[in-house]
Amino acid sequence: MSYDHEHSDETFCEVNKSSTSAIADTESAQAKVTKPETRSRKWLERVKSFAPLLALLVLSLLIGLRNPRFFDFFNFVRIANSAAIPLVLALGATFVILLGSVDLSVEGILALGAVVVAILVRNDMNQNSFGWTAPIFAIIAGAAIGFLNGFVHVRVRIPSFMVTLGSWFVGIGLATLILGGRNARVLDPEIRSLALTRFFNFPLAVWVALGVLVFAWLIERFTIFGRHVLAIGGGEDLAVLSGIHVNRVKVLVFTLAGAFYGIGGVLAAAQLGQGNATIGDGRLFSTITAVVVGGTSLSGGAGGVLNTLVGVLIIAVLGNGMVLLGISPDIQQAVQGIIIIIAVASSIDRNRMKFVK
Amino acid sequence: MHRPEISQSRLISLATWFENMPAPSTTLKKPNYGEQIRAFAPVLVLVGLVLVIGTLRPGFFNLESLIVTVADTAILFILGAGSTFVVMLGSIDLSIQAICSFASVIVALMLPTYGYGFLIVALAMGLVAGTVSGVFHVWLKIPSFIVTLATSGLLVSAALLLSHERAISIEESGRAYLTWVNGSLFGLGSLRLPNVICIAAIVGALGIWCQKYTPFGRYSIAIGAGEPATWASGVKVNRYKVLAFATSGALAALAGVLMAGRQGSGSPNLADQLLLPAIASVIVGGTAITGGAGGIGRTAVGALIITIVRVGMTFIGVNIFAQQIVFGLVLILAVALTIDRSKIVIVK
Amino acid sequence: MAEKAFLSLTDVSKAFAGVQALDRVSIEIRPGEVVGLVGENGAGKSTLIRILAGVYRPDNGALLLDGRPLTLHSPREANLNGIGIVFQEQSLLPNLTVAENIYLGQEKEFSRLGVVSWPALHAAARRQLEKVQLNIDPAARTARLSFAERQMVELAKALALEERTERHLVILLDEPTSVLEQREIDILFERVRALRTRASFVFVSHRLDEVLHISDRVYVMKDGKVVAEMPASETSVPQLHRLMVGRELHAEYYREARQRVPGETEVIRAERLTVDGSYRNVDFTLRQGEILGIAGVIGSGREALTRTLFGFLPHTSGTLTVSGRPVRSSSPDQAAALGIGYIPRERRVEGLVLSLPIVPNITLASLATVMKTGAIQTKQEREVAENWVKKLHVRTPSIDALCLNLSGGNQQKVVLSKWMNAQSKILIFDHPTRGLDVGAKEEVYDLMRTLSEQGIAIVLTADTLEETIGLSHSIIVMRDGQVTARFDAPPGNKPKQIDLIGHMV
Repeated sequence: MSYDHEHSDETFCEVNKSSTSAIADTESAQAKVTKPETRSRKWLERVKSFAPLLALLVLSLLIGLRNPRFFDFFNFVRIANSAAIPLVLALGATFVILLGSVDLSVEGILALGAVVVAILVRNDMNQNSFGWTAPIFAIIAGAAIGFLNGFVHVRVRIPSFMVTLGSWFVGIGLATLILGGRNARVLDPEIRSLALTRFFNFPLAVWVALGVLVFAWLIERFTIFGRHVLAIGGGEDLAVLSGIHVNRVKVLVFTLAGAFYGIGGVLAAAQLGQGNATIGDGRLFSTITAVVVGGTSLSGGAGGVLNTLVGVLIIAVLGNGMVLLGISPDIQQAVQGIIIIIAVASSIDRNRMKFVK
Repeated sequence: MHRPEISQSRLISLATWFENMPAPSTTLKKPNYGEQIRAFAPVLVLVGLVLVIGTLRPGFFNLESLIVTVADTAILFILGAGSTFVVMLGSIDLSIQAICSFASVIVALMLPTYGYGFLIVALAMGLVAGTVSGVFHVWLKIPSFIVTLATSGLLVSAALLLSHERAISIEESGRAYLTWVNGSLFGLGSLRLPNVICIAAIVGALGIWCQKYTPFGRYSIAIGAGEPATWASGVKVNRYKVLAFATSGALAALAGVLMAGRQGSGSPNLADQLLLPAIASVIVGGTAITGGAGGIGRTAVGALIITIVRVGMTFIGVNIFAQQIVFGLVLILAVALTIDRSKIVIVK
Repeated sequence: MAEKAFLSLTDVSKAFAGVQALDRVSIEIRPGEVVGLVGENGAGKSTLIRILAGVYRPDNGALLLDGRPLTLHSPREANLNGIGIVFQEQSLLPNLTVAENIYLGQEKEFSRLGVVSWPALHAAARRQLEKVQLNIDPAARTARLSFAERQMVELAKALALEERTERHLVILLDEPTSVLEQREIDILFERVRALRTRASFVFVSHRLDEVLHISDRVYVMKDGKVVAEMPASETSVPQLHRLMVGRELHAEYYREARQRVPGETEVIRAERLTVDGSYRNVDFTLRQGEILGIAGVIGSGREALTRTLFGFLPHTSGTLTVSGRPVRSSSPDQAAALGIGYIPRERRVEGLVLSLPIVPNITLASLATVMKTGAIQTKQEREVAENWVKKLHVRTPSIDALCLNLSGGNQQKVVLSKWMNAQSKILIFDHPTRGLDVGAKEEVYDLMRTLSEQGIAIVLTADTLEETIGLSHSIIVMRDGQVTARFDAPPGNKPKQIDLIGHMV
């Protein structure tokens, strides 16, 4: 039985190279209808979907074998703590990537959030003392930038990559502007408690991250919005024709991501004890690495919140492991670079079958 | 151009069933004048900026300060020039600042012991780094922004390790090898033309020549403007993609050498702040990120605009801290104007 | 069965880029009936049902539902009016579950405050799946299903309309059986019959025996017009064939007088050429100056064969010999290096870089010919372009005009000049006259004859059977991935379309 398939010659339709749908694939003029998965391919797919988890376990085992202190309870606490902020950031980015888009503004919004919190609570720069309402402002600031990202993206039709590249620096700029060259040290003990106080041995930040995780998971699993994000990522043209309000969903996704980054900023300020514009440096790379390594596809529509959890843990365990094994932290970025390449190269990504840019 | 049948959504879906071209058009369509205007916009903007700032602060027109401005632009231009080919392809190189910084570390470490050898090693590093990015991109089909993020991670780690996480200043004996960077061969009386400008000019001239008269230049545009057609015309697309990334790396390394010369030191994060301005130079100059149009000449204009905006803002008294914001907004605006939306149907 | 039609198209016309796809077509669909729609490629069937489905809007004429005129702006609107279309499985999102696909865009009915109630959604999905007797878990990911299952899900999705409207449904089936096994086809037909009280069907297919088997009435289309309509019981497969292709070949149209005897030298020899999943054991030879036509319908494998020859799809077994040397091109540049050129079907995507002017497009495959000591000689390049534009009569104000602004026919000429400048000895023409008006088509035919006279060998995958027969020296017919027949097509003694069709379907 031949699977060589083409759409009828009479559709005088020209195919555009950038369409992400499998339907409008340049090659689909002489398309191969996606083969139904044979038994062995299904098996391979299943294995691949568990690969990140497997990688995490193997990694942990290897580290633990070299240094049994890895399995110490307090080491797990350390890992969880180091994973808290990355997790919150990566969860925000996950929704964006599920759409098939990209968000480069992580660092900018994080910095902005951290600075906003730092100057609103009791600090050494001004007389403010907003207490717990400060984080809310930080989250709103983050959401606002996120909203602008989404809005400009869908309205002006600029690729997300470019918009968020710009807002990355807008965020940093705003943070710098607010601080005006000074540093704001956080003196409010309650905010700092996020990082310092423990609840059942884990810092509050970890619990916050957990809460965000649950929230994100519920959205992905149970809300129409969450399902629509997947639909858009899986086939945007189909989603449009099925009556899904794609633009609305996209704007909401970026806004949500911005809010998450804002939360990350609050946690970072608490952790560092101050807010400054460079507080987010390097986090973009580790955020994207975490999402990709966890198994969420860059072309959208596959992966999700739980995948990201695994990805973040892999990065955290790697960092922890390097310390335990006495490897210089300088190498961290190199290692991340290698694993992201391996992760993307080994993923069966729809987009990668076509012309990759 | 296309009349969308699906009026409820602005997104024009080009799935093969749904494309619908307008009725009879056997006559030739008229050229789009709007596009032609857009092509000259960057130059107009540049001229406009210079005039505006000059009017508000006549001190700006001082020849010496202008030369300094151009000299400041030189390094930015060299950084941007390399990535212009990559952007023409429709890709992006996010590792240029890492290559640049690493090159400065190499310079600082190798001087004075290895003499002029530093130049070879630094440029070779840039070439290799770019090639690696390019090869992974085409062979493993990894999107350029990820692969260059990854290479930048590798390079940053290498730089951190080699420099032990700190800036390394170049001793006096070493600086002797770098006088050519800071010197000025040409000039009239007390007015000197810094060498960096000459170097940038040479890079620019070579770049423009490559772009117009070599297969590399021709194919870079063709790939960006229509990769399927270029591929189906028997062009070795992959080879030229790798070449573009290699060029980007080599020029970034050159920029790093020049920076080390100017600063008198090398450090692993020397060029971190230059990524955005470099990319902005390319985009603001008129090379669309969708690829297929633009060039080195445009990047020169773009680099000048970026520098002048920065210098000008300081002159006018714009809060230095607000400048980053302005840059970010300028970038978005530039993209909005130069992007070719007819090529992207579904904007991701 | 009621006599009065409840959905009809009256005098509907539709044109795409100057070519008339539908020409004053009127059809009607009565409640509870199955209407078959047959015709050659290019006859207008697809366009017709897409208009019914709300994908396209007609240029003229009206769509009437229950006697009232209706304008459909989107498939969704069509759905709301009870019209659903079943494509192949690409219209399902593979990363979502079956239930989500069935109710894509309508989740609101199963949720409260934005939160989906999975039990409710799954239960509803199960009801739809029962209608098509598909016993799968509605929570299964669509990517895991087989073709047939996905096709049934598509059908279930269309039938889900039942609950959304009180009206009688119209389900449009677009080539639903081409990817199904016989057993599954039987199920499909049995379901269709069972659903008559609730829905009418329009069944579009190349498989005439199936169409007659299941339909009550059949429409035959040709060249955008309805040429016949009759009850299925009153016609037969041969008669349908005749009606579908009936026109006499105009020998002049295809310049048969210029068809010469091809040379002796073999330029391509294919032996047992196979690409797993697309075609197998294809043998053919191609001589200098010969035009080899490949005939076949959707799914025959001819598209893949064409792609193999130009390196897009390397063969998995068998041998391909080009100019005496065995080759296996795994990319177009390798094929081009062998002297092969490709005039693609998607001319605007794979043929030309539209946003560049004519000049660089012409030299794109042969840049070396306008270079000296490593530099492109722009003056020489422009002269080359001028020559080709003149020689092929490309209508353009200047050679600097963007290819974007040329008409289809002229674009095709630029594509041709690209390969002619590259001095290709073998040219692959993939649907070369697609989207061109009659005048432009004739120019292409003239060019093909000229090339053939110069000894250039051509592999032709044409839009219509008529074109294939008229232009070719010899023809191979493919079906389901294999060569089913070979014909010689000398001028003055061309095979009839009827002869070929039997081997194609």
